[in-house]
Amino acid sequence: MTISQRRMSRRKFMIMGINAAGAGTGLLIAAPIVGSILSPLFYQRKQPWVLVADIQHVPVGVPTAYVVMLDQGGDAWQVPPVPRTVYVVKLNLDNQVQVITLSNVCTHMQCDVHWDINLNVFFCPCHGGEYSMDGTNIAGPPPKPLFRYEHKFVGTTLYVRNILTEGK
Amino acid sequence: MAQELERSALARKLTKPFSGLMATTYRWVDERLGVTDLVHQLLYEAVPRRGAWAYSLGSATLIIIVLQIVSGMFLLWTYVPSTTEAWESLNFIEHHDEFAAIVRGMHLWGAYVLFVVIGMHMLRTFVSGSYKKPRELNWITGVVLFLLVLGLGITGSMLPWDQAAYWTATVVTHIVSYFPLFGTQIEEILRGGPQMGPDTLTRFFAIHIWLLPALLVPMIGLHLILLRRHGEHGSWVNYEGVEEETEAERSRRMAEAEAPYPAIPSDPGYAVPVDLDEFFPSQVFKDALVSFALVLLIFVMAVVVGAPLERAANPAALNYVPTPEWFFLPLDQLLVQFPQAWMIPVGVFVVPGIGTTLLMMVPFLDRTPGREPWRRPEVMVPGLFAVLFLLFEAMLAVGRLFNL
Repeated sequence: MTISQRRMSRRKFMIMGINAAGAGTGLLIAAPIVGSILSPLFYQRKQPWVLVADIQHVPVGVPTAYVVMLDQGGDAWQVPPVPRTVYVVKLNLDNQVQVITLSNVCTHMQCDVHWDINLNVFFCPCHGGEYSMDGTNIAGPPPKPLFRYEHKFVGTTLYVRNILTEGK
Repeated sequence: MAQELERSALARKLTKPFSGLMATTYRWVDERLGVTDLVHQLLYEAVPRRGAWAYSLGSATLIIIVLQIVSGMFLLWTYVPSTTEAWESLNFIEHHDEFAAIVRGMHLWGAYVLFVVIGMHMLRTFVSGSYKKPRELNWITGVVLFLLVLGLGITGSMLPWDQAAYWTATVVTHIVSYFPLFGTQIEEILRGGPQMGPDTLTRFFAIHIWLLPALLVPMIGLHLILLRRHGEHGSWVNYEGVEEETEAERSRRMAEAEAPYPAIPSDPGYAVPVDLDEFFPSQVFKDALVSFALVLLIFVMAVVVGAPLERAANPAALNYVPTPEWFFLPLDQLLVQFPQAWMIPVGVFVVPGIGTTLLMMVPFLDRTPGREPWRRPEVMVPGLFAVLFLLFEAMLAVGRLFNL
């Protein structure tokens, strides 16, 4: 092996060292940063039940909006609970009362929908989405029915919590 | 040698206001720091003589971006990036701190004017075919800068955390959830959770004041280095008769060209503008006047109209109709035109993606010879169509949102 070849391999060794050290430095800095960026995906949120109303006071066949202080299970460092609108819909199907608790968040771009008394639909002012009384998407751009909050009864008192299920 | 003389003349000119100890100090510093050389490099170069007013749009863009950075820095003296205090801090500014309210107004109107000026700058470059070789990368870095400024515009509009900001942020972050495969995860990462929360604001605040500016500033540097490397192209008025000149005339023009010309590789005849002028003071004079006029406009709008602040964000809102910032109206209209299921990702990703890619590829799509717009209908007609399409979409959106 000639001197120049040996010099070359020494040079190659150092270049490899530079690449390895550079990659290591980058990895050490990037790993915790990437972890912190992804952390919301793994954060456990507690979703407590929140009181809405006495179901006897909710009229049948008229979606009624309640502003509920939905504690987002302490979403990050959220201190005051976030107010959200829950539409309580009491339907009379074959003499059986069914209760659904709809989110007023449009499934298209998440604008705020409201029950339009004249049109008899949930209407979204952003892009003109429309939903029927049970939350089924009937017109405009929404791809899905309105989501539903989980609800339960304690006696006649209605509770919801901030866990959303797909509407039907 | 001539350059040496010119530089010492410049040094004398720069030290003229000083005498005695001051002049000695200047010379001492200059020998070590090279201020005179730097000023010389920055100010003395050849630029095209004709159409120079149109070429002031780039420097106007730069000045307004500097205005945005400076005004943004001082907004941070009061603004609190917290969902519970952001609105309160700006409401305080609007009612109890008149000067800060002007700074805030200038930051908003600076952004509005910036979009207009960038649009005109791009249009000017497009019409004059300045992106042709060797300046393809000037155009591409310019498009990247435009996208970064769009990102700054959208993230900035979220920060007041009033109704407009909250619902804009909601829609924008939900748009990304339609991205194939990882959409929902990206939305959660951007929001800091499945729903809008306290860390949604801190994220977009960090993106607005650090991440995007940290990308923007070096990209501006690259854009300017490329400008200096190839020299300013100008437009067709700077190349009248170059296609008819003889080989001898052409090579004489190339040989006599002042730095940074000739720009190589160029189409024959287009390496050097026919008539050159000095960057300083001829071009700088026009740049300074245009920038002054625009900053004056921004100042007046900030004082007279100011920046609006709607009511504080209310996630339980029932009847709030959010209207996107005017520069996003065409995109908002696409949301209506591509409804339901698989159509939505087409409207939010495929259509804008194709548009952006085509915009970026302009230097490679335009194979026309020459520079006159009327000799390049293959490019000018689609370009005109694209501009009209954006205006048409914006008009439809305005008609829909304001029930006109």
